[in-house]
Amino acid sequence: MRRLLLSLAVLAAPSLALAQSPQDVAEARIGYFRLLGLEMHDLAAMAKGEKDYDAEAAKTHAANLEALTHYSMAALLAPGTSNADLPGKTRALPAIWENMEGVQEKAEAYVAAVQNLNSVAGEGLDQLRPAVGKLGGTCKSCHDDFRAKDF
Amino acid sequence: MSTMSEPGRGSVPRPSGGIPHQDKTSDHAPLQAGEEIRVWDPVVRIFHWALVVAFAAAWGLGKFGPDEMTLHFYAGYTVAALVVIRIVWGFVGSANARFVNFVKGPRKILHYASHFASREPSNCPGHNPLGALFIVGVLIVLAMQIGTGLLADPEDYINAGPLAKYVSIETARQALSWHEPLSTLLLIMVGVHIASIVFYKLYKHEDLITPMFTGRKKGL
Repeated sequence: MRRLLLSLAVLAAPSLALAQSPQDVAEARIGYFRLLGLEMHDLAAMAKGEKDYDAEAAKTHAANLEALTHYSMAALLAPGTSNADLPGKTRALPAIWENMEGVQEKAEAYVAAVQNLNSVAGEGLDQLRPAVGKLGGTCKSCHDDFRAKDF
Repeated sequence: MSTMSEPGRGSVPRPSGGIPHQDKTSDHAPLQAGEEIRVWDPVVRIFHWALVVAFAAAWGLGKFGPDEMTLHFYAGYTVAALVVIRIVWGFVGSANARFVNFVKGPRKILHYASHFASREPSNCPGHNPLGALFIVGVLIVLAMQIGTGLLADPEDYINAGPLAKYVSIETARQALSWHEPLSTLLLIMVGVHIASIVFYKLYKHEDLITPMFTGRKKGL
């Protein structure tokens, strides 16, 4: 009997974790932005001259960013997952859910900058540099309004 | 900065009865009516007005400038260079520019503050004890603002401070979270500074603006 209870407890633990908690959503969201950061990191390093320009690598990073723009953010922006709901777990400000239109605007500027980047990424460092700058600018502009500075 | 916490050390002896003197410093007796001295050396004056321009540029560009913050960075570096020059000048500069001559202890600050509301000019031959407190305060807050700016990483890959890569991301975020409140504090300090100058001019009938241009101050 005791063995049965123990095994039930072992089974129950992972099945509880399967439920989508607000924290899961926040972690997945942070993961999505980490992916963007991973691609952006090397592009920025090339643009700043910290890394040699590599047309193929630049095109791949740009294409990955473009692919990620097709990912629907709806589940990542589930209500009840702001930094007011989950202090210390996320920097997403409640302003996101109060002003979805504003978020949409920022997202459109970001997508346009990613598309612009894709059209020039393989054309040389002089073309890449301003496109990366413009893209980083759209990151900043959204961070300013919708992301807390610290956890 | 240790000199600042030891006011009075190495100060010039007080002359008896405020004899008119060209090298009169903040440590000396008030200016006599009609007595004129060289109060601010050219480094202090150029520092002051260059800081006005560089700080206004850094603040405005930070708040309202383009999302690619290159110009904000240059303005910030200029402020940093000016602050470093002023601190060095506070040890090796002219008598009125040296911290040791104008930073005072609580007793002198309180004594000066007790006369603050009287409707007469201070005739201070340099920084008054209360103003000295402000100078030290604003230099410290500016240094903090420069430090947090250099370390801040907003994680947009284009606006990271040049020293952010040498610290952990947690530190870089903390620096970022301090940078903006400090900018508000600095704006308040600028407001207090300008309000004090206006107060001296209108209430105490003492013009502190002209000496910052000409370097000369006349007793009233």
